[in-house]
Amino acid sequence: MKRVGLAVLLLLGMLAMAEGKLKAGWIYVGPIGDYGWTHAHDVGRKEAEKAFPWLKTLYVESVPEGQVGSYIDQMVRQGVRVIFATSFGYMDGVLEAAKRYPNVIFAHATGFKRAPNVATYMADFYQVYYLNGLMAGALTKSGKVGYVGAFPIPEVKRHINAFTLGVRAVNPKAKVLVRWIYEWYNPAAAKEATEALIAEGADVFAFTEDSPTVVQVAAEKHLPSFSHYSPMLKFAPDYVVSGQLVHWGAIYKDFLAKVYAGLYTPKNLKDVDYWWLLPQKAVELGADYGVPVNPKFIPALKAKKIHHPVFGEISVYDLVMKLKAMMSDVELAFDPFQGPIKDRKGHLRVPAGVRLTQAQLESMEWAVEGVTGPWPNEPK
Amino acid sequence: MVESWWVSTLARGLAFSAPLLLAALGELVAERSGVINLGVEGMMILGALSGFAVADASGNPWLGVMAAAGVGTLAALLHAFFSITLRANTYVSGLALTMVGLGLSGLLGKPFAGRPLAHPLPKLDIPGLSSIPWLGPGLFQGQNALLYLALLAAFLLWYFLYRTRGGITLRSVGENPAAADALGVNVYLVRYLATAFGGAMAGVAGAYLSVAYRPSWTEGMTAGMGWIALAIVIFAAWDPLRAVAAAFLFGAFYHLAYRFQAHLPPEFLKMTPYLFTVLFLVLGALGKSVRLGAPEALGRPYVRGER
Repeated sequence: MKRVGLAVLLLLGMLAMAEGKLKAGWIYVGPIGDYGWTHAHDVGRKEAEKAFPWLKTLYVESVPEGQVGSYIDQMVRQGVRVIFATSFGYMDGVLEAAKRYPNVIFAHATGFKRAPNVATYMADFYQVYYLNGLMAGALTKSGKVGYVGAFPIPEVKRHINAFTLGVRAVNPKAKVLVRWIYEWYNPAAAKEATEALIAEGADVFAFTEDSPTVVQVAAEKHLPSFSHYSPMLKFAPDYVVSGQLVHWGAIYKDFLAKVYAGLYTPKNLKDVDYWWLLPQKAVELGADYGVPVNPKFIPALKAKKIHHPVFGEISVYDLVMKLKAMMSDVELAFDPFQGPIKDRKGHLRVPAGVRLTQAQLESMEWAVEGVTGPWPNEPK
Repeated sequence: MVESWWVSTLARGLAFSAPLLLAALGELVAERSGVINLGVEGMMILGALSGFAVADASGNPWLGVMAAAGVGTLAALLHAFFSITLRANTYVSGLALTMVGLGLSGLLGKPFAGRPLAHPLPKLDIPGLSSIPWLGPGLFQGQNALLYLALLAAFLLWYFLYRTRGGITLRSVGENPAAADALGVNVYLVRYLATAFGGAMAGVAGAYLSVAYRPSWTEGMTAGMGWIALAIVIFAAWDPLRAVAAAFLFGAFYHLAYRFQAHLPPEFLKMTPYLFTVLFLVLGALGKSVRLGAPEALGRPYVRGER
């Protein structure tokens, strides 16, 4: 029976090949309508399908992390040759499925385990968070910047740390108040966390969570905020300063083009790991495409002058633009995590003249100076 | 400036309790007539979507609220038809309504995701009252008209249930439908009306979320509030005024968990909503043994002439 199934599968695969189209499938952890993580991946999928006439795509949404295996089975049965699994929690399910289907190519977002037919990929924001932090530091009057985080995992901690380094580069005494909601998507929780931060006196906001809630709540109180993931400028045009945007399409197009060209095969992906940042244009600074800083905030940012160790007397706006240009260059003349950096307990985490490696960034558990609030798994 | 925890707890507790209270009051009336509707979550999310869609298209948030009430009513009538007229299993019918509501709203809501609502329900600042010491800033500053409507509804419902003939009729149908029938009460009609009211209130609760609390539409935005409303009904022992207290308690703890997150273990925060739901249910169940107001004929379809 299995043999027959396999034969049918091969036949289907050959048919798909005969049609000349490469079939790629996406597995999403949330609904496309979340206007956050899954929405952004779907934008990337559509971009890839539009770019390549030889590509046919399909997707399933809201797939529970434990059930990824059976959805992969279904996709393979439909003749899919390349599968993108877009949640960290799919990791082990994907690796198991990869053993079952050695001729199918898998790519797993945000993971760190690879196999001959499993690649990993990530579009990371830490550079952009630093730039947002610079602006937040210039705009806070109370010296308290609020941050609503989803889960205390290394990815989010890295982003809060980068953001806080930016805040303190402009405003050395400022604090970043952190609240966790322990969910990727829960608008009510995000709203109440923001309200709690407002009650604590925070007057500028940033977040890692999959909805525009924080932006909306801050705007109701006439407070500035930084958007996350999707273009959220329109949710509060007078109060969103900037933010970070993702372009998963950049990675998807590159990956699929290389599969189509025969560069990536189910045998040689063991070392294929996309860690794409500003230079690869996988991420962008701004709350809307092509708008790095909301023009309404440019005068205030230009008026705020600081003394920078490299550039001397400089306005925050110019500093943001300069560092953005430097970080967009593959040479990376600047990096937020460049020593000396101490954690909030006083330990030297990054010695002078040293930068953190990708592996160190991906496993970051400590908190930089200036972060206040709970920080689970903080090293002693 | 750090706001006092008292003011912020009162203000946020009330704001968060409004959708819970609206949905719970509706369910309370339905259950008082003997009909359990586990479809609160589904009716709420359908209300949230239709409320957003109509408010978005018309530019008038109140039209959105009314549309939400209408859609909630229609959904509830579906449940009424299955559980009252066809006498299908009332739990299955309600659960089905929740699942259909969540699925259908996700499907139909796609074009509305990621759009801000240009004209949400305004926040009210009531001059004079908001300067009352202790209570003023929390009760009368930046709250939403729907919150006051919910509180008013609780008092009116309490009066209706215990002080009017209509209330006695409703309660008698939930306690002993055969006796009510013998007295000439149209049991089916009363149950239909009560269920429809429950749907309208759940719809308005959903609209509160999408046109007032966080004016936008996102899939699954009710995030389990319908279930909490069901628990509140039991905890409140089917009494509208106790429902106000129960909903506020829930909202207040929700806020405090964030306010004092630094001093609480994260696991505690994560389980708070569920902990309280379970606690409510346990207290409610304990209450049942001493007959704390559960309608006698709750969840039992009525068949004329059968005992």
